[in-house]
Amino acid sequence: MTDSSEHIVDELAAYALGALETGEHARVDEHVATCASCASRLAEYRRLAGALPLALAPITPPSDLWDAIRSEARQRRPRVRMRSAIGTRWLRVAPWVAAAAVAAWLVTWNVRLQSELAQYAQGPQVEKLARRPARLVILSGAAQSQASARIFAAVDGQSGHMAISGLPRLAAERVYQLWFLPKAGPPLTAATFTVDVDGRAWVVIKVPADLDDTRSLIVTEEAAPGNRAPTGPSLLEAREWR
Amino acid sequence: MSIEPVADPELLGRMRLGDESALEALYVRYGGLVYTLARRIVGDPELAREVVQDTFLRSWDGRDTYDPERGRVPWWLMGIARNRAIDLLRSRSHQARLRERAAPPPEISTTHARDPADTVVARRTVLDALRELSDGQRRAIELAYYGGLTQTEIANELGEPLGTIKSRTREAMERLRKVLGPLIQSAGGRTS
Repeated sequence: MTDSSEHIVDELAAYALGALETGEHARVDEHVATCASCASRLAEYRRLAGALPLALAPITPPSDLWDAIRSEARQRRPRVRMRSAIGTRWLRVAPWVAAAAVAAWLVTWNVRLQSELAQYAQGPQVEKLARRPARLVILSGAAQSQASARIFAAVDGQSGHMAISGLPRLAAERVYQLWFLPKAGPPLTAATFTVDVDGRAWVVIKVPADLDDTRSLIVTEEAAPGNRAPTGPSLLEAREWR
Repeated sequence: MSIEPVADPELLGRMRLGDESALEALYVRYGGLVYTLARRIVGDPELAREVVQDTFLRSWDGRDTYDPERGRVPWWLMGIARNRAIDLLRSRSHQARLRERAAPPPEISTTHARDPADTVVARRTVLDALRELSDGQRRAIELAYYGGLTQTEIANELGEPLGTIKSRTREAMERLRKVLGPLIQSAGGRTS
């Protein structure tokens, strides 16, 4: 760190402890936005402040407090779960093409799909292509509004393909991860991937669960090579069929 | 306790998907810490209960999202709790607030039966670090963090010049940073 007298260390300490005077926050925010040294120091001070309560003599919470929290939590479902009903309806009403399929045919389909998707990463042409013995799932941007993805899951129920567009490129140690969220049980990972300079990717995915048993699909950003459960925000989610 | 406990960020990921058992696991781990902090700030058990409930529900329904940059998950939870508690404190009468200011300083901590092993170690480390501060430094930090006072208010409370309070606070945080640096940098969050 450079000479601290050039910076605002007094204010950083007060800021992290919540003791800054009213009206000073904007000045500190403005400074740390352009001063990496002070931004780093403020982050350290905030972590220190968060650790301070460890020094307090522990007090056991009331025995019925968890029951109260659980009861209230059931009234306030997390965002992804709230959307699960939409995802389920979506999965049910998608225009599945019921047809017998053989493995050789699927290979042909996959090759053609891959080839044509290189030209048409999204749009009606891709959906037309998907009128095959397979199921189509569209994911749209949750946290990434410009992003979208289409998943084509073969009727063998085990393999699939995903075309993605509109996601930003990631740092080397980060990956995107596709998750199947079953109606019961832990989340299942289907693929990890990165995108090209145009924000696009073509990914062969493993379909780890029957779509009928899946309440939603999401894409998150995770630390490479991927995590056992989602830790990042949901960037793409299955949405209702149009 | 399982042989390989689930990491805190994974619990948060499961919570985001609606896994109630993950919320319960997080509460079992840190409910005591959050309640202790809430009691220290607001004093009243019913208000402390309200703070704990709101803290865990905010982490559950996504109103507050975890940022690894802020350090370990329990410290993030305590940040939420501290802000909620201070909000409550500020909404109470001036008389009640004065009573909270007179709250006794932290006692010597003992091991909590539910504390994870790494929390026990962290607890001891933080306690030792605070003991190395001067009384004035420690008091300035406590009035800010637990009392919700601004530096001007702290100066008035202690009858000291504002500049003294500012430098005392900064020196205390710098000293803590040096002593607790390894602890906060092993938090799974980047430091720069």
